[in-house]
Amino acid sequence: MPPLVSLLLKRLLGALPVLAIVLVGSFLLLEAASGDAVDSYVARSGTLDAEQLAQLRQEWGLDKGPAYRFKAYATALAQGDLGWSTAYQRPVGAVIPERLPITLLLMTLATTLAFFIGSLLGVIAGASPGSLRDRFLSVTSLAIYAVPGFWLGLVLIVIFAVDLRWLPVGGIESIASGKSGFARLGDIGAHLILPVTSLAMVYLALYLRLMRDRMGEIWHEPFVQSLRARGIGHWRIVWRHVARNAVLPVVTMLGLQAAAMLGGSVVVESVFAIPGFGRLAAEAVARRDTPLLLGIILCSAITVIVANLLVDLAYGKLDPRVRTGR
Amino acid sequence: MSKPYLHIAGLGVRYGAAVALEDISLEVGQGERLALIGESGSGKSTLAMAVAGLLPEGAKATGSVDFPTLGYKPRPGKDIGVLFQDPNGSLDPVMNVGDQIAEVAMIHQGIGWTAARVRAAELLGAVQIPRPLTRLNSYPHEFSGGQKQRIALAIALAGNPSLLIADEPTSALDTVVQRHIVNLLDRLVRDNGLTLIFVTHDIALASERTDKIGVLYRGRLVEFGPAADVLGAPRHPYTRALVDTHISLDTPRRKRLAEIDTAGLE
Amino acid sequence: MNAWRNLNGEGRMGAVILTALILMALLAPILAPGDPLAISGEPLLRPFADAAHPLGTDRLGRDVLAGLLHGTRTTLLVAFFSAAAALIVGSVVGTLAGFLGGIADAILMRITEAFQTVPGFLLALAAISVTGPSVPTLIFAISVGTWTQAARVTRAEVLSLRERDFVAAARTLGMHPLEIAFREILPNAFGPAASLAAISVAAAILIEAALSFLGFGDPNRVTWGSMIAEGRTVLRSAPYLSIVPGIALVVTVLAVHLLGRGLSRSERLQP
Repeated sequence: MPPLVSLLLKRLLGALPVLAIVLVGSFLLLEAASGDAVDSYVARSGTLDAEQLAQLRQEWGLDKGPAYRFKAYATALAQGDLGWSTAYQRPVGAVIPERLPITLLLMTLATTLAFFIGSLLGVIAGASPGSLRDRFLSVTSLAIYAVPGFWLGLVLIVIFAVDLRWLPVGGIESIASGKSGFARLGDIGAHLILPVTSLAMVYLALYLRLMRDRMGEIWHEPFVQSLRARGIGHWRIVWRHVARNAVLPVVTMLGLQAAAMLGGSVVVESVFAIPGFGRLAAEAVARRDTPLLLGIILCSAITVIVANLLVDLAYGKLDPRVRTGR
Repeated sequence: MSKPYLHIAGLGVRYGAAVALEDISLEVGQGERLALIGESGSGKSTLAMAVAGLLPEGAKATGSVDFPTLGYKPRPGKDIGVLFQDPNGSLDPVMNVGDQIAEVAMIHQGIGWTAARVRAAELLGAVQIPRPLTRLNSYPHEFSGGQKQRIALAIALAGNPSLLIADEPTSALDTVVQRHIVNLLDRLVRDNGLTLIFVTHDIALASERTDKIGVLYRGRLVEFGPAADVLGAPRHPYTRALVDTHISLDTPRRKRLAEIDTAGLE
Repeated sequence: MNAWRNLNGEGRMGAVILTALILMALLAPILAPGDPLAISGEPLLRPFADAAHPLGTDRLGRDVLAGLLHGTRTTLLVAFFSAAAALIVGSVVGTLAGFLGGIADAILMRITEAFQTVPGFLLALAAISVTGPSVPTLIFAISVGTWTQAARVTRAEVLSLRERDFVAAARTLGMHPLEIAFREILPNAFGPAASLAAISVAAAILIEAALSFLGFGDPNRVTWGSMIAEGRTVLRSAPYLSIVPGIALVVTVLAVHLLGRGLSRSERLQP
């Protein structure tokens, strides 16, 4: 079996118990809710008589015990059925795929931006630890690290959308713009600049610091002295050797931050009115849509597991010590 | 008399208030092999690094280190190859060894990548790594300690230096491997007509294959001269103790060998 | 005072800011008496325009400075207790996993992994949706999403501690394994977990702010997050209403990080 396939299989098998725990855990948590979906449905859609209420409860399995509901849910899930969204009156399995791609795009762009700019600045800071440049970047990154993404989003809206009118305030594309092809892509791109920046900044600061700190450690490793003895110039040592070694833990961090970034997208999507997965989560909570929330938790767990798997594959490509049989 | 290759006069090195070397003066001729002997902390490595121009930041050097036959300040990597003690700490763990050797050849010989890789394969062969062409793409962790030290030697030679400084190159290796590396080093130095500075605390190793011996004690050069003279008639008590300990600990056969070897060097 | 002398400049700055924030929280009822949610003046007064409302008023005429001061209380209260809860739960789980080993370890670490796989913020949201928003439930919800790191760090530390001499000595003395775990090992393993404290507090502040920004905070209390959300409705005409509480948020989180970095020798744990 090729090593890639066996790695994938191994990881998928390892992910199953974790997913099972996520499923049982979140099911139990949401079962503990006082008031059920019918209550919140009624609260929004006006009065129903007692008979209609009972019928609705029966339809949604709310008259039975939690064990019955879990069994029903798990059985349906095994057949690929995520249940019925009470808020959207559509299958959960139909609602989530509409929303997930936008969020994945947002996260991919934000991760790419944070990783490349963050580690680039980290290299510049870490090239000469203790220098003025290093201290400036360190302090700046610490300050940026303290900025919540949703507030940064609001500030960016005030500056770039309200005052300067360079970029749109929110949404994913202009409504009824009639654009198509590249014009439409450009329009979507313009809508994504501010949300991606808001989501990415914290991670940019994090990767900058990580890169810088790791480089600081690598400068003390003996092989760097031997590189100097080979007569290799400073910046070549910085880029080809020290940065190359220091980027490895940053790549590991990319996977670890996938969950946090998915969480961050909930607020950022709300700020920019992006109809993505994160905003769906906030709506599911606000409208007490338990099946939808369960589906969201499950899907985000799968997203995080896949993201980590991708990062592990990339790491294997970057670190020769992992590549050739550990 | 012709100009010496290396001329050191009144060299002192201090780290802040701590004196590492004091008033060192010596000369080494082109193609000569000098052993620097001393216990740890005696300053022998500092002297080697001062010659290589690789003193760490914060070190203050006085006096002069000149290379009269070169006529210019030698560049590390190009004119001086350095071999360090720890083979695990000599190589970049995430770059394949072919690129690491080729990098030095490219920088110092102004050749392209392909030519540099060919040169890297030649050098790997010269340091007796089997199947050098296929091993170019291997990474440091895929080699044994002794092999890593050979690769480090190949890198040290990649810039075609005229001086090789070996700073205790075998003390991290086991005895059998030590002997292989020393033999290899010796042959390559002779074949290429290199000048060698060999830092060691092993007087037997020093006596066998070097022309001159310098003994350092607490930052001072207490003894310097042709190997046979230093070992045959040590003047400083430390050298005497060193020679005596060695002889008393070793078998008579080794003693004879050492005598024969030093005699043969003259 | 010894701790103060050991702090570097950054750490001291963090300590000073945090002390000021704690004072603000304690003195809020004196500095800004009355209900901060009550209408106290004309709506949408600009900052520095009126001495009675130095930072202006919001859309309904509530004093921004009063909100800011009272918001400090909520922020620090929720952040402190949820970080403490996360650290305590995390280190207990980590100690048990590391000390018991075997199946118990495998199960506990799988559970930890499951919690790490779901975004902490999403977990907090789900927990809030179950419990309803109030200060205690916020503390619960935030710690549900943040205890895992402490568990992992403590477990790693326990694994290295359990082979040490003093644990072996406790064993030969016939101490109960759980007694060894919690009286001998946990106190020693807690140090590394405590160095996560700054990160935990900062994370808790940010999660609380985001939750109240989305409207899932305690509706009976002023929080910086809810002030930002409130100001958002008039973002075009009065952006200061969102910007001012946000600056308070940034300064607080920055101070926590500065102090954390100052206190911790192992900078790698810190951002």
